[in-house]
Amino acid sequence: MSIQEQYRKKAAELLSSGEVKLVIGYGAGTTPDRRRPLFVRSADETSKLHLDAACEANLSGYLVTEGLLADRKKVGIFLGPEGIRSVNILASESQLDPDQIVIMGFNREAESVSALEGSNVRDFPAMLAALKEQAPGAGEQALVERIENMTPEERFTFWQAEFEKCIKCYACRQVCPMCYCRRCIVDNNQPQWVQTSSHTLGNFEWNLVRAFHLSGRCVECGGCDRACPVNIPLRLINRRMAMEVLDAYDHFSGMSPDQETVLASFKKDDPETFIL
Amino acid sequence: MAKIGVFICHCGENIAARIDCARLLSAMDDHPGVSVSLDYKYFCSDPGQENVKKAIRENNLTGIVVAACSPRMHEATFRKACAEAGLNPYLCEIANIREQCSWVHSDREKATEKAIDITRSLIEKVKRNNELQPIEVPVTRKALVIGGGIAGIQAALDIANAGQEVVLVEREPSLGGHMAQLSETFPTLDCSQCIMTPRMVEAAQHPKIELLTYSEIEQVDGFIGNFTVKIRKKARYVDMKTCTGCGDCIQKCPQKKISDEFDCNLGKRPAIYTPFAQAVPNIPVIDKENCTYFKNGKCRVCAKACPIDCINFEMQDEFVDIEVGAIVVATGFQIQNTAMYGEYGYGKYPDVITGLQFERLASASGPTAGKIMRPSDGKEPETVVFIQCAGSRDPSKGVKYCSKICCMYTSKHAMLYAHKVHGGKAHVFYMDIRAAGKGYDEFTRRAIEEDEASYLRGRVSKVWQENGKLMVRGVDTLLGKPVEIAADMVVLATAITPQPDAKEFAKVIGIGCDEYGFYNEAHLKLRPVETATAGIYLAGACQSPKDIPDSVAQASACASKVIGLFSRDRLEREPVIAMNNEATCSGCWGCFVACPYGAIEKKDILNRSGELIKRVAFVNPGLCQGCGTCVTFCRSNSIDLAGFTEKQIFAEVMGL
Repeated sequence: MSIQEQYRKKAAELLSSGEVKLVIGYGAGTTPDRRRPLFVRSADETSKLHLDAACEANLSGYLVTEGLLADRKKVGIFLGPEGIRSVNILASESQLDPDQIVIMGFNREAESVSALEGSNVRDFPAMLAALKEQAPGAGEQALVERIENMTPEERFTFWQAEFEKCIKCYACRQVCPMCYCRRCIVDNNQPQWVQTSSHTLGNFEWNLVRAFHLSGRCVECGGCDRACPVNIPLRLINRRMAMEVLDAYDHFSGMSPDQETVLASFKKDDPETFIL
Repeated sequence: MAKIGVFICHCGENIAARIDCARLLSAMDDHPGVSVSLDYKYFCSDPGQENVKKAIRENNLTGIVVAACSPRMHEATFRKACAEAGLNPYLCEIANIREQCSWVHSDREKATEKAIDITRSLIEKVKRNNELQPIEVPVTRKALVIGGGIAGIQAALDIANAGQEVVLVEREPSLGGHMAQLSETFPTLDCSQCIMTPRMVEAAQHPKIELLTYSEIEQVDGFIGNFTVKIRKKARYVDMKTCTGCGDCIQKCPQKKISDEFDCNLGKRPAIYTPFAQAVPNIPVIDKENCTYFKNGKCRVCAKACPIDCINFEMQDEFVDIEVGAIVVATGFQIQNTAMYGEYGYGKYPDVITGLQFERLASASGPTAGKIMRPSDGKEPETVVFIQCAGSRDPSKGVKYCSKICCMYTSKHAMLYAHKVHGGKAHVFYMDIRAAGKGYDEFTRRAIEEDEASYLRGRVSKVWQENGKLMVRGVDTLLGKPVEIAADMVVLATAITPQPDAKEFAKVIGIGCDEYGFYNEAHLKLRPVETATAGIYLAGACQSPKDIPDSVAQASACASKVIGLFSRDRLEREPVIAMNNEATCSGCWGCFVACPYGAIEKKDILNRSGELIKRVAFVNPGLCQGCGTCVTFCRSNSIDLAGFTEKQIFAEVMGL
């Protein structure tokens, strides 16, 4: 039985037994190579679920839809490794109760998908530990290194050119499962820290704020990259910050639902190399 | 509409010499929202303040900016003036045009422009300031004194004699600290224990002092007036309630050869012991590391010897939590290990000893009952060489600072030696004689002139053994000649260092320390006994090397601070605290994790039928210290700091 069939059957079982009230998965997209989120509420709809290499989106962001989990009922969800990590972060930031989430995990390879053993976020420690050890994707790493090797002026020019394209549509924010604030800082106009118009200064401000707010939290699902209509390589910024956090604090985000928020927590024996 | 008053202080020439005050004044006149602007030579003076008050009353001002010195100097002065003129004191802002402008710039033109910018930015801030009311917090009228040496005892007694409760914590089995180890004290040569022990007994018997010996501080939480302290009472294995201190167990303990720390390893003690004869409390402890029973599971001789069954080998460390309003830190010092001077042979030659070891030799309660004897063979030394600054004032091998007490105690040692060994010859190598203090210089002169100590100005390069003597090679820089002395004993005046765990302990109690581990005072000159953490005070050598008179004086100063704090039921605190916007809070608890004071609480927002809508952060105003950590962490910008709101800071920045 293919994993798609397997998970369709599992979703049907979960729904008909009443264990979950909803399954969030992937449905057919506008073209055969695209998939879009699908909310399935009854067993007879589960045949609409798809699971293949085209299922790129990290669906965990839908879990924090206001009121969705308020009735304490469980929700089933299709999640890749990044999705599992982001559920862990959402749990550690008190946005959801991890035991309300029934995971149908999958690993996406170039042409196919395989099932991940387990249904609770706590069931994947070995997979997450392996991810932490894994080197980042080779293609991207080359670009990170190319930017690293630039002089500060070259780097500034590079990002200036990239950010100039930004139209402040905030698609990167909307797609990101970590951007769950009820009011984003950019929507606060008393005071207006981030300029709303899409000129260079405001664009820099927004993208820097975004980078800092995702430091130690981003799971590199690539949602922002895919969502950006003007193709700014947003994931690179997050990758760079993730490298920094891993290097400085040995912190890999989303390892467990009890993981500490890296930039908010402190320990008495933290190195204080930044204090002069 | 804003009606702002701007007051430009010349501070004599301090500001006026570098800043064109007339130009600054006219620039402020034109600034939108400014109703009145004045300049004056000294606004902090009585007539200056009267001018401010008059301007507030006559113009119905809604806020003022005083362009003057740092707010650390006179913010309180002008806030008070505002209050007297009927304006909320938090509608007053200080534009620092002295420390941050006139004092640090030489170009008058540019300095004036900068002063205009600074003042304008504060006008923009004060326009957005809100009226704030001070926060009142209760004060727990009980003090914690950490350390039972002379400084701790003095502070505890002074506070207790003023009628306030004190908990005195000492980590050793007895009170006394280093002073109990000393023989005589300079500059009067009175016996240290004779003046120390009455104090120890008084502290132990005082009805207002709770004494916890053999105890250590585990954790300190809270803030001024309201600290919670967790204390570990280490297991003594002897029941303090029933033990009478008869000493039978000590006599019978078969372990007799344990190096005695109190005697600086010159003597021996059993595994169950009191550190010294007059120990307070006079109740022994079992040294678990060296006790035969704890090592082999057999012995219990002490338990058999005890006539009333006080020994309990199953005793465990106990933890107690106490609530106190103020903390006095009097954790004292250690002496530096002189192993870095290989050329002096400390540790290699038994007759090369430290000053503190000499104290034990000279002390009537010491291992030799006060006779000066060589540790190697028990002979009376005919010649003794004292080497000062064996670690102090030596940036390359030792410490940079002067240990302050060594000049005096070396003179004392030379004197005691002359008194105890007639015909003995004392040589002192010194760099400088630092004898500032009442009766101090007279004391060193007495050692030189009456007790005939030979003082040689210079350093010692090497000490080696030859024909049963310690050969000391040094230089007499006044004669410009090398010197070689055949000595029987060499005494090193080692440097005073902080306790080895001083830096970690600073983190436990939340105070700062310098590179060595000496605790930082809030201001070296004007607030020498306070730390930067309100409600925590410093006494004695934990702050810097100090002699007994200085330690006692500082301890009494601490006590007066504590008594002053306890003179009121409630404490007024600045209303600079964080506030949370519950509508926009997403409950991520970053603030909860980040807050170093535990001031963030979780608050449930319920609908009319009592169902939970969401859980948000709530800032407890009693606990919040206004540090702003939560503000910087809050991604949705929901938390703000009263008196420094983002709106105010933004206006201030944009005003530049």
